[in-house]
Amino acid sequence: MVNLTIDDKQVTAPRTATIYEAAKINGIKIPILCHDKKLKPFGACRMCLVEVEQMKGRQIPACTTPVTEGMIIRTTTPDIVKARKMVLELLLLNHPLDCPVCDKSGDCDLQNLTYEYKVNSNRFKDEKFNHTIDYNNPLIERDMNRCVLCGKCARICDEIVSYGALTFIDRGIETKIGCEFDDGLNCEFCGSCISVCPVGSLLARPFKHKARFWAMTKHTSVCSYCGTGCNLTLGVKDNKVLTTIYDEEQGFHKGQLCVRGRFGYQFINSTKRLTKPLIKKNGRLIESTWDEALELVAGRLKGGTEVAALATPRLTNEELALFKKLLLENIGTKNFDHAAGFAHAALTDGLEKSFGTPASSASILDIQKSDFLLVIKTDAYETHPVVGFEINMAVKNKGSKLNIISDKRGKLSKLPETNTFVHVPGSEVAVLNALAKIILDEKLVSAAAASVPGYAELEKALVPFSAEAVSVQSGIAAADIKKLAYEYAAAEKALIIFPIGQGYAGHAADLASAVANLAILTGKYDKEGCGVLCLSEKNNSQGAVDVGFYAQDGALGGLQILDACSTGTVKTLFIAGENPLTSYPDRSRVKAALEAVEFLVVSEMFLTETAAMADVVLPVCSFAEKDGTFTSTDRHVQYFKAAIRKSVQIKSDHEVFSALITLLGGTAPTSPSATFSEIASKTPGYSGLSHVSLRKDGAYAPVVITPSLVVTQVAPYKTVEQGKLAMVTGSALYHNGTLSQHGEGPMHVCPEGYIELSRADATAQKITDSDMINVSSSTGSMQLKVKVSPRMPAGVVFVPYHFSESPINTIWSGSPVTLVALAK
Amino acid sequence: MNPITPIINGMKITLKHMFMKPVTLQYPTERPQVAERFRGLHGLKVSHSKAKCVACYLCPTVCPAKCITVEAAEDSNHDKYASVYEIDMLRCIFCGYCVEACPVDALKMTGEFELANYKREDFIYSKERLLEK
Repeated sequence: MVNLTIDDKQVTAPRTATIYEAAKINGIKIPILCHDKKLKPFGACRMCLVEVEQMKGRQIPACTTPVTEGMIIRTTTPDIVKARKMVLELLLLNHPLDCPVCDKSGDCDLQNLTYEYKVNSNRFKDEKFNHTIDYNNPLIERDMNRCVLCGKCARICDEIVSYGALTFIDRGIETKIGCEFDDGLNCEFCGSCISVCPVGSLLARPFKHKARFWAMTKHTSVCSYCGTGCNLTLGVKDNKVLTTIYDEEQGFHKGQLCVRGRFGYQFINSTKRLTKPLIKKNGRLIESTWDEALELVAGRLKGGTEVAALATPRLTNEELALFKKLLLENIGTKNFDHAAGFAHAALTDGLEKSFGTPASSASILDIQKSDFLLVIKTDAYETHPVVGFEINMAVKNKGSKLNIISDKRGKLSKLPETNTFVHVPGSEVAVLNALAKIILDEKLVSAAAASVPGYAELEKALVPFSAEAVSVQSGIAAADIKKLAYEYAAAEKALIIFPIGQGYAGHAADLASAVANLAILTGKYDKEGCGVLCLSEKNNSQGAVDVGFYAQDGALGGLQILDACSTGTVKTLFIAGENPLTSYPDRSRVKAALEAVEFLVVSEMFLTETAAMADVVLPVCSFAEKDGTFTSTDRHVQYFKAAIRKSVQIKSDHEVFSALITLLGGTAPTSPSATFSEIASKTPGYSGLSHVSLRKDGAYAPVVITPSLVVTQVAPYKTVEQGKLAMVTGSALYHNGTLSQHGEGPMHVCPEGYIELSRADATAQKITDSDMINVSSSTGSMQLKVKVSPRMPAGVVFVPYHFSESPINTIWSGSPVTLVALAK
Repeated sequence: MNPITPIINGMKITLKHMFMKPVTLQYPTERPQVAERFRGLHGLKVSHSKAKCVACYLCPTVCPAKCITVEAAEDSNHDKYASVYEIDMLRCIFCGYCVEACPVDALKMTGEFELANYKREDFIYSKERLLEK
């Protein structure tokens, strides 16, 4: 810490701080346009000029000048105020002053400063710009006439998003922010540039002209898409969520969001939402009352060993815990699960065996503290974009080494000094085992590893996984595997990241255990910047595991429940929010099960394909209309409050389960907070937590690890037949689960299912971009749009699973790699 | 004072008025001359055959009676215009702040004062009714 004086106030600041940061920490406001907490200092706007006595009273920019011991700084002398006024006058010279029609008005830094400094006339005269406004894409509007050239958009796109869509072009008075070849913007549409723009140059088109900034109330919440657990600020007016608002102080990600989080909120106020309970009468779903629907459901659930349930991990911890209580205590069945069973097996089976607890050992905060990152299957960006930003910052700012083991390349593969090892699809576990074998053979193991149970068995089981043998199978050179093993073992802090989810069928228990083996052998866990981070797919996947909402003690898992419906062992199925018809593997199997089951209850926000088959559909509310907690992938338990009132005819899942408990003669908890105190008393790591204590920043539930080395089963290697391609499934960058189909933003940029294939395969099959082709596997065939992409290796195709219109489970039966044939 | 004096004084005034022009207007056959700055019914000004209003929301923001409802939309030229502009005359207090706040001089207050109606709904003036004719 250094001591300095700012405006006659004695203050201290960290040695690395700039004058601007030092002032901010100590509550002194310096006006600025070109600074953001996450970005590197730039010094473009010259608004933050201050006087430093030691520098002979010269005016220097506070945002780029580091503090030194004994500095005496003045931030508001008459000379400085005069200089700042002049800066504003010069900015306003070319600024169009169209505040009445500009959506930034009210939240505009330039407007606020102009008001604060009372700049109401201009000594200079110049023409306004006449740049063409970019309306080329449906999400981001670019009006360069309003630009003040702070460069924040270009910098965030480069430094954090690592896309580089925007940059300064031309020189002098002609300077503007432009895209490649001065063309329209065509990027990933994460909207980070919009969030940092101090003026109205970059605006969110879905929110255009919807409301004024001052007319909205701001509600903090937690994003309901992926498991990263990003915080959101929702802008609400007239009980409608109109936009997401940027707050650089929010969450570990400092307000940074991805395309889904920022633009995917429209499902909350969608006109397609269900508004009344529906009951099937004479083969048609007829609107009904809650009393009738709940009576009917309760009647069918009573004394039900033939009852089973599937719930989406998008429900809150409280709802999942209450649903579990309803099923176990009031109905008497233990057959319940979420996300198809396999999608969380990496936690409940893999990490449970390896770490003794179904949770990741590391947190997202460890990414930037780590020296060596090993990412498996994707580059983590595609599934969890905000985690991808963290990886990008670790590589670019902290010099962490990034290694990707995947069946395709990703965006982060392009980062400096990043190695991407593209392997044959489905050989991840073999590659990890080969790494473990090298670590064992070359005596790179930590001292403590030999005493971990399972060491001898693992050593024996790894014999067939020599680097050479695995190299033949996986297509990664033996030397690369060896080098990677050495580097991993040598790194002081190393972190392994892998995604799980319904699209990642191969990422089950064995992969998790193989990953955990590496960490345990080298002792890289339970330390800062080390460990294993399993990225869960949905916002509360980890919470669902924590409250135990999955098949335990020999109960039926997700896919088994569906089979039991087909055979008639399960007669009543309660589906809370899941859409198995689209997201579970093998559509015909799911369809047969849902048709065969005698009584199907679905609680949903929308009339999905699954809900359309139900006997009773219960309309429930979204995350923005209820209170509760979500647990992110790194066990960050976060409380959120309702941002809007729900319609009177809609209940939260918590209310539905409470009502059913009461109807079945039990006693239901009074509120979600009462349910949470029950969760806190039962769940390891949650003790002492309550809604009140979580209110501010939430809390990380600690993970206690008892390591054991586990022998993994390697799936037999699939040879690709002549004329066939290996299809892998997964998540598209713009979507998450099937919910994002109801978000306008994601659907604007990625409206339909597609098949991504390499240029080599496209040329060989004479297919071009946007062609519709017929894709057939052993289980079926379907039409998909082609996306030719340089990132795919030859012989491999990638298909995302989110779309009801093109459900890939017609050709995918749940195996990690499916062989498909393409035909025009 | 003589008790008769005030009566005489009063009668003097009465007699004077008997020979003056009457103040009372025979409304509705006779109509008042409304002052130029009178604050009556609002009017949306028109320029280039469309409303000048750009839907900046400053009038509903400043309105103390919260009687103005504006909804903005984007036209085919990507320009902002008010797709909905409603004033609830039952709530309006005719303070004129809306006119003062308007940055594009799109709103005025006319001399129109006959605002009586039979139904409550008829007091909500839509954009069409407010546009100056």
